[in-house]
Amino acid sequence: MYQRYQLQTSPTPEIVPFPNRTRVKVKKRGLAMHLLKELVHYRRNPEVALSRPCIYGVFSGPVGVFAPRSNSCVGCLRCTIEHPEMVQVDLNPEHRHLGDSYFTPEHVDTTCYEARTGRIPVKGAGYRGPFGGDGWDGMWTDMSEIVRPTRDGIHGREFISTSVDIGQKPPFLTIDEQGIAIAEGVRTFSLPIPVLFDMPPASVLSLKFLQISMTTAQAAETLLILPVKVLNEFRLQGQQVIPLASHGDADALMELRSTPLMIELDGWNEALFREIQTRFPKSTICLRHDCGSGEELLKHYHSGVRVFHMVANYHGLGSDGRFVLDLIREAHKSFVDAGCRDAVTLLGTGGIIAAEHVPKAIICGLDAIALDTPLLAALQAQFVGECADREKSPFTLPGRLAVDWGVQRLKNLLVSWRDQLLEVLGAMGLRDVRRLRGEMGRAMFQKELEREAFSGIEGYGQ
Amino acid sequence: MANSMKTIEQLIVDKHTTSLHRGFHLWPKLKNGKLPALGDHRWTADLILSTWLQAETATPPSNGREHRVGNSGGGFDVLDFKFLPEDRRLSNDVATDLSLPLNRRPYDRRIEIPIPFYGAGMSFGSISEQVMCARAKAAQAWKTFTCTGEGGYPESLLAYKDHVITQVATGMFGVREETIQHAPIIEFKYAQGAKPGLGGHLLGDKVTSSVATMRESLPWISLFSPFPFHSVYSVEDHKKHVDWIKTINPKALVSVKVSTPTDIDMVAVGSYYAGAHIVHIDGSYGGTGAAPEIAKKTIAMPIEFAIPKVHRYLSQEGVRQEIVVMASGGIRTAYDVAKAIALGADGAILGTTELVALGCTRCSNCERGRGCPFGLTTTDPELSQLVEIDWGAERLSNLYRSFQLQLADLLRRLGLTAIRDLVGRTDLLIYRGHAGVR
Repeated sequence: MYQRYQLQTSPTPEIVPFPNRTRVKVKKRGLAMHLLKELVHYRRNPEVALSRPCIYGVFSGPVGVFAPRSNSCVGCLRCTIEHPEMVQVDLNPEHRHLGDSYFTPEHVDTTCYEARTGRIPVKGAGYRGPFGGDGWDGMWTDMSEIVRPTRDGIHGREFISTSVDIGQKPPFLTIDEQGIAIAEGVRTFSLPIPVLFDMPPASVLSLKFLQISMTTAQAAETLLILPVKVLNEFRLQGQQVIPLASHGDADALMELRSTPLMIELDGWNEALFREIQTRFPKSTICLRHDCGSGEELLKHYHSGVRVFHMVANYHGLGSDGRFVLDLIREAHKSFVDAGCRDAVTLLGTGGIIAAEHVPKAIICGLDAIALDTPLLAALQAQFVGECADREKSPFTLPGRLAVDWGVQRLKNLLVSWRDQLLEVLGAMGLRDVRRLRGEMGRAMFQKELEREAFSGIEGYGQ
Repeated sequence: MANSMKTIEQLIVDKHTTSLHRGFHLWPKLKNGKLPALGDHRWTADLILSTWLQAETATPPSNGREHRVGNSGGGFDVLDFKFLPEDRRLSNDVATDLSLPLNRRPYDRRIEIPIPFYGAGMSFGSISEQVMCARAKAAQAWKTFTCTGEGGYPESLLAYKDHVITQVATGMFGVREETIQHAPIIEFKYAQGAKPGLGGHLLGDKVTSSVATMRESLPWISLFSPFPFHSVYSVEDHKKHVDWIKTINPKALVSVKVSTPTDIDMVAVGSYYAGAHIVHIDGSYGGTGAAPEIAKKTIAMPIEFAIPKVHRYLSQEGVRQEIVVMASGGIRTAYDVAKAIALGADGAILGTTELVALGCTRCSNCERGRGCPFGLTTTDPELSQLVEIDWGAERLSNLYRSFQLQLADLLRRLGLTAIRDLVGRTDLLIYRGHAGVR
């Protein structure tokens, strides 16, 4: 029986105090003088004297205005506008230290909000950020002005599918003599959301972290990629786990107590690939590959690989220094040009750190993404310095990490991201995320729009 | 004596209003007086403070505060004007014409506004009644327009009805025969730049009893305007809508508000053929009372790219001279207005700029709890008293005056005498690259 995909959200506050964006400071002596004056002036109405300029409770603590509660500050600045001599609101340096240069404090803020509430971030006023920029920031998605009723899907009245198929898909059906389709060569499975969990960096590997990831993956009906040795070491098993195997891991794979849905091969190794094909004929094999040229991927396609996992570093840069967006586009185009795009699945990881990046990456050509750093940020992991390197980046998870808490945070994050994907699909009038894959006509790039709009203007292109 | 007659609530409002007005006056004039946490890439602290200053003095800032561009690194912020050498500029004695006819069809009533901009739609519910009235009063004083947005038509607006555009949007909140009959212009809102393709959303906290009554809904329940108009799936359907309005109010001009998809050019042409007098394109970086952040940043294109596309396509179609193109969604300054016109619009529509003039700090908490702490985007009975109608109208009038002065000055420096002559003159623009115009 058909069931609508649903993950239960629940408010899950941070376990480590989260630094507020703004910090409120008061000049106590000036404030005391001011209060005295007001008490005299409004002696018949002390309520008026004690009325404070903040509606968010910053000055409503036990000692009122003398010890502002900065964590309640939303940065409206009304207090400092009313009392420039006594109140100052500035940016909190602790907040500026969240994340790193790619996973900015604003990304940490947003991720934590999503993990805390499970909601789509909604705010008043217009967009506040830079006009465009490099990478994902230089790309906009399309919308449709008057078509179709699928917008209703966002409010649950109609269905928009976020399911994706992963695996080996023949580009056409073969019909036997009786006119029946032969399913030979079809080895796919579906995920209800186009999001998997990528293997975590070594610095956060712990039983608790793995339990959180496993339980969430199970609840979300998605997959978690883990090195096969880690699986064996922590005695983890289940359909949700995708073992990642490197050269020399063939025996470790045999120790698994169940047949995995998919096995990920860490870099091309023909001998291991053939061995896995032989030993695990029912498992889909995925090639984990540093983001590089499309030609290389095509070469592996001709060797029999049908599922590719393109991996960039945490800042979205491929091995040749190009950004993941361009690399995905190139890979997708290579398969399209070779006439085999529909036969393969493209997964991607690295630099996809916000809900908006998911539809953008899919438009560029991915079928699904495997999440990395956003999972850590949702669990309030601290970024120690610049965290670009997948192997060596040091992250610190909170000491008081609890499994239930972590699972709910990740569930909330997934719900929020899926709902945001629905918003984007709804705005375009698409009923199915699979139709978004490689739909470059649904993308607008700053460079192209700028060329179209500004060419002819003196100074443009010089 | 007067104080003793006032209620405590009134005294509290008076106290904070006085302090706020003092702050709005003081902050822009303070040396190095940027509020450390004020501003963002699009609306820098300087832009916000210079807008406050203009709202107070009715002139562009003379203290060196940046009032032309923000720091977004793109769009209007990387465009500048190619002014004539000083000796070839027109003198200040030369009169300039900033007027804008809003009907270029050979039929229907003639409406002309003396300045090439008017106020954007902001609904009762998303903003307070006081702010609505202040905007309408300023529009009346300047013989231009403001727009109801989709939230009904409070009776207090009737005094300004000749300068109020009635918006008809997908939720049809507050749309009645009489509110259509009141209006000289009716605006169909198909989409909004900040949340294109997503309809409207008024969070439950702001649906007070009066808002609910106006919208014929229930208090404290979130209200959605669906997307799209379920009765419009083609240009022909759209024409049916226009005909419907013309039946109820044959004298009204019809404006069509759309956002900026890749095929915005086709949408604009469709609006023309459906009989619209004005096509209003609302860019993706426009304001809103509440919208998903992903929509604001990601969906649809910024207005700077949409204007030339629409202008070119309408021109190629041979209909550009028969339809008025108004641009909104990220128009912050008089310079933005002029740049939008040089890119191909006839005029601009101001939304956030007006709220900033009234004290908005762009803190983005419009949708939260009681709403705006400055009494702008709120329906809270106490907070909304922070904006007094006459004070607000004067601030807006002052801002308009400052924009008028700057636009006239810009024209003279470009050697033009009419704003109409600036339309589509991209040859008068210079691209400054991502370094921006400083």
